[in-house]
Amino acid sequence: MTEPAAPPLRRVIEAPFTRRAWAELGHTLASLPLAFGAVAFFVPMLENGIFWAISADVMRWFGAVARFLARELLGEDIPAPSPARPLNLFKVATPDAAAAIRLFEAAQAAGGKARVWESKPGVTVKRLPQERVAELAAEAGIAITAIRPQNAFNSWMGARTLDPVAWRARAYFALKLPLAVVSLNVIAGCWLGGVFFLTFPAWRTLGLNGAFAASLSGSFTFLPLGVVLLLAGPWLTHGLTETDRWLMRGLLGPVSRTERIRALEQSRARAVDDSAARLRGIERDLHDGTQAQLVALAMKLGLAREKLQDAGGVDLARVTQLIEDAHRGALEAITDLRILARGIHPPVLDNGLADALATLANRSAVPVELVTDIPERPSAAIETIAYFSAAELLANVARHSGARHATLEAVHVPGLLRVRVTDDGAGGAHPAPNGGLRGLAERVRTVDGRIGIDSPHGGPTTVTVELPSHA
Amino acid sequence: MRIVIAEDAAVIRAGLTEILTDRGHDIVAAVGDASALLAAVAAHEPDVAIVDVRMPPDHTDEGLRAAIAIRRAHPRVGILVFSQYVETRYAADLLRMRSGGVGYLLKDRVANVAEFDDAITRVAAGGTALDPEVVAGLLTATRHAAALDVLTPREHDVLALMAEGRSNGAIADRFFVSERAVEKHISNIFSKLGLPPSDSDHRRVLAVLAFLGER
Repeated sequence: MTEPAAPPLRRVIEAPFTRRAWAELGHTLASLPLAFGAVAFFVPMLENGIFWAISADVMRWFGAVARFLARELLGEDIPAPSPARPLNLFKVATPDAAAAIRLFEAAQAAGGKARVWESKPGVTVKRLPQERVAELAAEAGIAITAIRPQNAFNSWMGARTLDPVAWRARAYFALKLPLAVVSLNVIAGCWLGGVFFLTFPAWRTLGLNGAFAASLSGSFTFLPLGVVLLLAGPWLTHGLTETDRWLMRGLLGPVSRTERIRALEQSRARAVDDSAARLRGIERDLHDGTQAQLVALAMKLGLAREKLQDAGGVDLARVTQLIEDAHRGALEAITDLRILARGIHPPVLDNGLADALATLANRSAVPVELVTDIPERPSAAIETIAYFSAAELLANVARHSGARHATLEAVHVPGLLRVRVTDDGAGGAHPAPNGGLRGLAERVRTVDGRIGIDSPHGGPTTVTVELPSHA
Repeated sequence: MRIVIAEDAAVIRAGLTEILTDRGHDIVAAVGDASALLAAVAAHEPDVAIVDVRMPPDHTDEGLRAAIAIRRAHPRVGILVFSQYVETRYAADLLRMRSGGVGYLLKDRVANVAEFDDAITRVAAGGTALDPEVVAGLLTATRHAAALDVLTPREHDVLALMAEGRSNGAIADRFFVSERAVEKHISNIFSKLGLPPSDSDHRRVLAVLAFLGER
């Protein structure tokens, strides 16, 4: 539900008093010292390459803080860039030059970078783990005579000296600092100046009117100026903040379009695998459950029919027994089918996530306190994933934690749906291979969501699933 | 008849045991996976083994592979493979063994107890029992599909029943005609398809299946 837009004049007048104006003001003030700190830190470090490497991780951290401020204050969710990729430089000696060229081609095809030696047969390979290089060689049928990794220090340096994320963060703060200084002046001029001129007659009376000499009656002519400044302040701040957002999106997010494309490819592959696995699971459940039950049921009824046609007289007790068995089998099949259907898509989800979660909380073996704040419905796929995440987490609470009480929280703010399950159980939850939490994490990642697990031994356990509003 | 059952779904295993015991058969073992099946067949040398295709641990085609292994190690044991789906490829794998004494049925067929019992009897006697769905698949998938067009509708039906493994008598009963008439249809089919004439019922079935199985 969105409120109808207010008439333009009212929006102009109300601007200084909106949450957005205060958030942007807060962000401008908070990010100024950060920009100062970052620039003061990295400028002396530009001296030489060793310092570039040393400062790289810190620059990444500054970038992360800037993204954090943007998310918390501006609601601007900038995805984090990928972590520094180890260079993984290997020197691989091969028996002859032809083998070196084949290995070079295999390494390039596998997404690494390679260079063939000129003096003796061999290849230098970058950006592929050592096992992968050995694997590639084995696949191509190349005997490796020696494989020697770069030493740890060089590999650490290599990954950081030219770390694009760190360099982009330096560029961002270099641009951000003047922007922040301008913003501060604008804010000071508009907000403080506005208040000053709005109350100018009082200052004049106190003799604190500075350079603005005026008669008492003339002093009231400054009042409109104060109003204009106060009203203009939020709009100017907004414009400057927009510029900052644009810079952050461009310089603090994932490095390149290819990186984003790779991430999307991965999440698409996960989504396809996930749905294939889900379909296979459903087929298995049907095959082993309902289908088998119906076959058994048909057998019983087939036998009962034979008994009824028996020329030697009908054994009523036996036929009754068969039909009773068949009846019981039919009821079991119905129950199983209902559970299975609900596992595919719970009908209550059509009424919205809040209702569905309430049903889930009621059905839980452990008492669950439910808190929902979902003013707007996320898209259907997101609701479904949120529902099954909550179901899986509550099932884990009942199965593993030994908790006496749990809380299920679902909050939807524009752009982000957060589902959180907290319990007072034994803790120690972790995503085991093939475990439910791992499967859940995989499913959440198919829509670029995130899962956070905080479960120290001895408890309490908090698992947070964050999903975008729209898949 | 002495029968071994291999089926992982307990409800179906129990149901089969009940039906077949009721029909006077002796269920010497009822097991839930392929390795137990192989052990039971080796221990009991039954007349027939009834084998589910999908069984633990992988739930793919363990039963089928076990059936083929039994065929090699115990050629006299009849094998009736049954499954909730019919795959023409599985049928082809089974038929490749050629020597008869095999069957492949949908589990649904068990509901008709008399027919199911009849199929088991045929398999135990060294005949074949193919599910009508498998036969329909063979009839449409064969590369001789065009050649089948020269058959009359009745000959087509007779061919299908013959491919299922039914005897001339059973086919005659189905169409309310004499066995002589059925034999006439069959010899027509053989000459139209260019198959070598054959005297024994069973050899004839195999010739038909070999013909249909060609791709």
